[in-house]
Amino acid sequence: MKNAPGVFLRRLPFTLVAAIVIWLLLRPAIDWAVAGLAQTLVRSFEYPRVTRLVVQDHRAQMRRTDLRTDSKVPTVSMTEVTFNTIVLLALYLALPRPFSRRQLEALFMGWCVLILCQSLNLVFHVKTLYALGLGEWSQQHYSDLARNIYGFGRYFTDLPGRFSFPFLIWLGFNWDVIMKMLAVTDEDDKKPDKKGKKAVSS
Amino acid sequence: MPTPGSSAPTWRPCAVDVRPKGDDKLLLMNPHDLLRKPEARFLILFLLILGVSFTVVALRPVDTAVVAPYTAFIARMSGFVLRLFGEQATVNGCVVSSPRFAVTIYNGCNGLITSLIFISGVLAFPARHPAKLIGVIGGLLAIQLVNLLRIVSLFYIGVFLPQHFNDAHIFIWQSLVILFGISLWILWAHFFALPRERS
Repeated sequence: MKNAPGVFLRRLPFTLVAAIVIWLLLRPAIDWAVAGLAQTLVRSFEYPRVTRLVVQDHRAQMRRTDLRTDSKVPTVSMTEVTFNTIVLLALYLALPRPFSRRQLEALFMGWCVLILCQSLNLVFHVKTLYALGLGEWSQQHYSDLARNIYGFGRYFTDLPGRFSFPFLIWLGFNWDVIMKMLAVTDEDDKKPDKKGKKAVSS
Repeated sequence: MPTPGSSAPTWRPCAVDVRPKGDDKLLLMNPHDLLRKPEARFLILFLLILGVSFTVVALRPVDTAVVAPYTAFIARMSGFVLRLFGEQATVNGCVVSSPRFAVTIYNGCNGLITSLIFISGVLAFPARHPAKLIGVIGGLLAIQLVNLLRIVSLFYIGVFLPQHFNDAHIFIWQSLVILFGISLWILWAHFFALPRERS
């Protein structure tokens, strides 16, 4: 395990390329899943349920059924919302035995959490637009507190969230593997037990 | 009801601790047990430091006094490097322009976010203070160097392959910068944070 970080870092450029290819192939499905979950979340807390998020050309269009037909449709770039899938995939694939059952389960769980984070980011985009971007309508329907909460939510899930969530998810779901890779637990594993035998790591 | 003398079952409290103890049961634990787990402690501390640092840099006085001048400094550095390559680059605030192309450096492009995430990772990880200091200073310099390379390369992508500028900017270079920060953290944890764990 001594050179495990070296092996991981050498693998990373290749897994980055693989992750970009996977993301490009799955992009329509990811866009659909993130926008669908975000729409469900937005509509869960609105009455009447008027928000519709339609993905077109990798941009989520915020359509409201109560907007005038000649009204402009605001959009959010789905590329910016979902690109961090590349980072998560690259990190997972660079770990030892990435296609073992355990790692694939961890990847599935981690990816689900990331999609939830991306959906929350999109929800905050929509709600910030409603609370801040629609002039007098926003002033009448949202309080100052709501504006601050949605604004902060958007700010935090935007750049800080997009950049840090893949790292946190990867670390959280693979803590043992990563610590073993960093050799943090190596010394304990190598210590002989009471009978003088070396502990066997599973 | 059991009658006297009958063999009624005697119920005793279960001596087995049935609480989940597996690594994958973090969310089912009580907070005290949760904080004993190193991964939970790291993640909570990391999010706390990250949350505080991002809140601080979002404050208007901090933005005016620190973030905006810092971004302008990055723009000046980029302009300087581009002039070294023979470009007639001029810098106006956060805009680096030449007769061939121009880029504006926003808050997300100044390397500050990656730096703050890296610093949060270093500070939250169990290590000695000198090791953390080395990590913070070395990491900041390395991330800024890569960010400079990113801005200069994006400028040339804008000049020669303008149709690929957005792709290169959003998902290639952003992914590269994040992965560079994480790789740096792994190297730091392996070479500098380990001695404390081993002692």
